[in-house]
Amino acid sequence: MLGVQPTTIRTWEERYALIVPERSPGGQRLFSRQQVEHLRFVKDRLDAGMQPADAHRLLADMMEGAPPSASGSGRPQLLILLAERDPYAAELEEYFLQTEGYSVELTFDAAETLSRAEGLSPGVVIVDLLISGGEGMELCRSIKRRTDAPLLAVSAVEARDEAMAAGAEAFLQKPLDPLQLISTVRDLLGSSAFLRTPAVDTT
Amino acid sequence: MERIPSGHPNLDRVLDGGLPAHNITMILGLPGTGKTILAQQYAFANATADRPSVYLSTVSEPFDKILRYGQSLSFFDASAIGRSVFYEDLGADLHVGGLDLVLKRVEGSIKDRRPGVLVIDSFKALRAYADTDGQFRHFLHDLAGRVTASPMTSFWIGEYDQSEIGHAPEFAVADAVISLTSPRVAQRETRALQVLKLRGSSFLPGEHAYRLTPEGIRVFPRLADPADPSAYPISSDRDSSGIAALDEMLGEGYWAGASTLLAGPSGSGKTLMGLHFLFNGARMGQPGLLATLQENPTQLARIVGGFGWSLDDDRVHLMYRPPVDLYLDEWVSDLLETSQRVGARRILIDSLGDLQWASPDETRFREYAYSLLNRCSRTGVSVMMTYEIPQLFGVTQLSDVGGSHLSDNVVLLQFVREGSRIRRALAVMKTRASEHQPEIREFLISSDGIVLGDEIALDQRVGEGVPHASRPSRR
Repeated sequence: MLGVQPTTIRTWEERYALIVPERSPGGQRLFSRQQVEHLRFVKDRLDAGMQPADAHRLLADMMEGAPPSASGSGRPQLLILLAERDPYAAELEEYFLQTEGYSVELTFDAAETLSRAEGLSPGVVIVDLLISGGEGMELCRSIKRRTDAPLLAVSAVEARDEAMAAGAEAFLQKPLDPLQLISTVRDLLGSSAFLRTPAVDTT
Repeated sequence: MERIPSGHPNLDRVLDGGLPAHNITMILGLPGTGKTILAQQYAFANATADRPSVYLSTVSEPFDKILRYGQSLSFFDASAIGRSVFYEDLGADLHVGGLDLVLKRVEGSIKDRRPGVLVIDSFKALRAYADTDGQFRHFLHDLAGRVTASPMTSFWIGEYDQSEIGHAPEFAVADAVISLTSPRVAQRETRALQVLKLRGSSFLPGEHAYRLTPEGIRVFPRLADPADPSAYPISSDRDSSGIAALDEMLGEGYWAGASTLLAGPSGSGKTLMGLHFLFNGARMGQPGLLATLQENPTQLARIVGGFGWSLDDDRVHLMYRPPVDLYLDEWVSDLLETSQRVGARRILIDSLGDLQWASPDETRFREYAYSLLNRCSRTGVSVMMTYEIPQLFGVTQLSDVGGSHLSDNVVLLQFVREGSRIRRALAVMKTRASEHQPEIREFLISSDGIVLGDEIALDQRVGEGVPHASRPSRR
């Protein structure tokens, strides 16, 4: 439909629960005219280079009556709390995140990060595991206990398993590839917006 | 560990598979050693549209010259410029804004281009723009912090000499240091690449010869294999020498995979004896490789043809390299590559002395010869080497003869005086793991090649140990 593979449409349906067609008695999906328009909206965004998660977020904005925007600014989950150890890395990460339209709060201290994570309700928290002399792992555990923000752990040292065990949803080894950083944050935001909250009822 | 290729497999071999990615590498060398070529080689070999290479020139080499001469290199892809390789001139900014502006330009490049490779050429020139050592160190710290925060590999190029490594602070910051030098040997200028530092990876130590070619830097890793105590299969076959009577003296020929040194004065028949071995092997279906540094192909064709053989034999492969401007490791790299390509089972090296003379010192030659023979032995390839000794008559010692202690077998060819006549004689001096007949036999060179004659007795009483042929006596 509209040049989109049926398997892709089913994946979107399961993942984002925004365009959910009714079923015929035989199990066939029956798309309403409005749902077809929604699919067309998503496909147009993809053709323009947008990621599926972002396109669905925009669609959700539109369906809720909010004015769509490239960054979706104003939604609390688009604030990124960046807890870094290295000021040079922090500058680059902040730059690339802001270029993508995200708001960035920057901290260089574990205790301050925890306090801001509770107060700001960020969409994603990025934690350098070596922050404050190596308190990043404990910081991840504390953030997971006190907030429901998705966590991206980063470190110059390979520590994926330990980071996951400490509650991180994703891990990236430094130096960070900007594109990988952005796509990981997008994925986490997508999860945050659509998987961890009840699906929007569009029927 | 992620590594980045140089575009030249031999250099990657020196670096244990390639430079570790995301580090800072300094390439140092005096003008004309090929630093800029090497840096550009890395730039083009690793450039992609997503992760381009950025080449920042400072104030040593005019920007246009880098490009103009770069075009003559085969890897220089003009269509990549502006798409995956970006050349930028920092010279004007450096004059106007000093090191602070350099930092801003680097930061701008990192943000705008997201490079995978960043080259600063010349880095040494930047030092002149710092008022104090402290200021330069501060700049270094800032720059290293910025480039380390991004997943890219940096190359800092400079006209340093090795004496500066101990005190110039940039060498402490760098993760890898590659030196390019042009040491003089006799009246020849050679080229040597050496890895002086490589964090997080092993590398092949020592000086590796290289040449500057239209394809860029071609490195010939120094042949110096570490001791390998592991067992390997050895053949129980015997290789005929190609001379029936000599096979008898050796006890049915040489062990397959053995090394044999043919020592003797000029004109004594060493090359011919080697050709017997090679062409006999070819007749038995064993491909042979004739690696000669002596006669050129034309001369050799005539010699070979005179004994009924032909260089057109497709089982005998010729590798002719004149001893002029000879790089030992280039030669052995070619030899091993050719041997592998043609599936050689027998190799004749004519002569070992040419290799010894091209060697900077005796120690280097011994480790080189050991490594070469060891590699051949482990792959079951038989090697025969000729070696010219200076004494025309009366050889009294072989200990100085290169490779005699390393070879499994040693055959000595001699001239013997009998009145006004000169005869030729041979003796098998050594056969490792085998017995041989300890006698001296006269031999003749006929149109059929070497023909062994009778045993002869040497008379050592005729002045200064000069051998003298007594009346021949049949065994």
